[in-house]
Amino acid sequence: MTLQILINGILKGGLYGLMALGMSLIWGVMNIINIAHGAFIMIGAYITFLLFNFTGIDPFVSLIFSSSIMFLIGYTIQRGIINLVIRAEIFITLILAFGIEIFINNAALMIFSADVRKVKVSYGASNFNMFGVTIPYVRLIAFLLAIAITIILFFFMTRTKSGRAIRATSQDLDGAVLSGVRVSRIYAITFGIGTALAGAAGTLWAIIFPLSPTMGGSLTLKSFVVTIIGGLGTMLGPVIGGLTLGIVESFGTNWFGTTFESLISFSILVIILIFRPKGILGKGKE
Amino acid sequence: MKKNLLLISILILFSLSPFLTSNNFLIRFLTDILIFSILASSWNIIGGYTGYASFGNVVFFGIGAYSTSILMSNTGLGFFVSMILGGIIAALFALLMGLPILRLKGHYFAIATLGVAEAIKALVQNLNITEGNSGIYLPPPEMSVDGIYTFFFYVTLIVLALLLFLTSIIFKNKFGYNLKAIRENEDSANSMGINTTIYKSAAFSLSGFFSGLAGGIYAFQQGFIKPEPVFNVLITIKMIVMSVFGGLGSLFGPLIGAFTIETISEFLSSYFLVAHTLFLGIVIILMILFAPKGMLDIFINIRKKGLSYFRKNIEEHRV
Repeated sequence: MTLQILINGILKGGLYGLMALGMSLIWGVMNIINIAHGAFIMIGAYITFLLFNFTGIDPFVSLIFSSSIMFLIGYTIQRGIINLVIRAEIFITLILAFGIEIFINNAALMIFSADVRKVKVSYGASNFNMFGVTIPYVRLIAFLLAIAITIILFFFMTRTKSGRAIRATSQDLDGAVLSGVRVSRIYAITFGIGTALAGAAGTLWAIIFPLSPTMGGSLTLKSFVVTIIGGLGTMLGPVIGGLTLGIVESFGTNWFGTTFESLISFSILVIILIFRPKGILGKGKE
Repeated sequence: MKKNLLLISILILFSLSPFLTSNNFLIRFLTDILIFSILASSWNIIGGYTGYASFGNVVFFGIGAYSTSILMSNTGLGFFVSMILGGIIAALFALLMGLPILRLKGHYFAIATLGVAEAIKALVQNLNITEGNSGIYLPPPEMSVDGIYTFFFYVTLIVLALLLFLTSIIFKNKFGYNLKAIRENEDSANSMGINTTIYKSAAFSLSGFFSGLAGGIYAFQQGFIKPEPVFNVLITIKMIVMSVFGGLGSLFGPLIGAFTIETISEFLSSYFLVAHTLFLGIVIILMILFAPKGMLDIFINIRKKGLSYFRKNIEEHRV
């Protein structure tokens, strides 16, 4: 039983890690806390839902569509709006992100209504047994894809020109400008990648869990928790943070009941912020 | 002086409004504006004057509302005693929460306050004394229907007047200058011998006290409260938006913001029942782009600079 809870936590934790990866990237590079992150995950989930319902595209395949559409949306938002105020006091961008979140959530409520939907794939319920632990295939595949996407992002950031430009901008803005980096474009690409990751996380979320237009708020807060646990500035941070939250939540809800799920994650958030504000791995800047 | 006279006459006219109109809907709407004026002004103490952008101030509102409700329905205490105790409980909570959290800066402070607010909401949803998600009923006020509207209008007005009076005194004194010093540069303030911890905590508790009073008034006015509406993060966002809209760190800025934003939302919600929150999102985005320094700043500068004011504002902060 303990092993089952642990495995459940790890599988969910991988998804949490992917959810927070985009938020952590945007936060680390541009010092923006993207409150609208959960709303972007929600859009990604609905893209998957719509594609599956109307064209029958397999949800795992729609990963490509949801992430590329979300990249375009994110790129446009950063280029058209956020870049204009990015040097103002930090809470200005925070409220701006709230404005974007309120807009997206209510637009989604009007379009899709508050009904809870589900992506019903034929293989959704199949699973296999190993050492007495039941593992659903979809959860395992979602976990592996989440890890794979993280690895792809790692290679993008270290091996490509754009990736190096992003890292240079985050380390030394003036230095990057002097070396010919076009900051407004790099910021837009960074935000686009962040939202694309949110879209991908949304797709994987939609395969496993039900979706509704208001799901974003709690996912934003979970992404915070994961980002804070892992700390900023490393690729490993969100993975560690995600697994930690997944495992703690899994055991916590088993002991205290599912109604305590959010209380557990926020308590972790506050405790980590008080005792280790830079995260467990701790490379972030104040 | 001329400006002050104008302001005072507007305030007197406003405070007499229950005698000028018998439209209860209007009085209720004005009371809502007053409640939000209290909330925005309290946020302004910690967010505007002290420079700590709290994203969890709704927690004081919620604690005030719940304390008042529990005291009134369980112990039979009167409304005023319960409301004041609710404010004190909210202030003590602010003090307790501030000790560890006020050490954090910038984004970390913002996220921590948001986290505490959400954690307390989750706790209230799960405790027995708060009756979880089913909510609490309060004993109804024993007054005539018209009397109720006038009663709440004046209670809220008095609390707001007290808050403004206190803030205006505080910010002409050492306390206020110390808070400003903390906002401008906390490290220098510290090295100048200002005990920043005490002043920050005091500002946070003051903010918590008045938000708690507003929560108590709201609970008694509604007659029934649930965790989701009184701990709604949207209330915090409204406090911040109103403060920014009116002008941060000014006495009357939050009032102007509360009046404008509530009027816009009321107008929109009467025409677009479903979409009005969506418009609130648009209002926030437009405000951040075009009026990040508030309405007062626009009025002062637009005569001198014209439309180039907006361009300059954006040029200053863009990449």
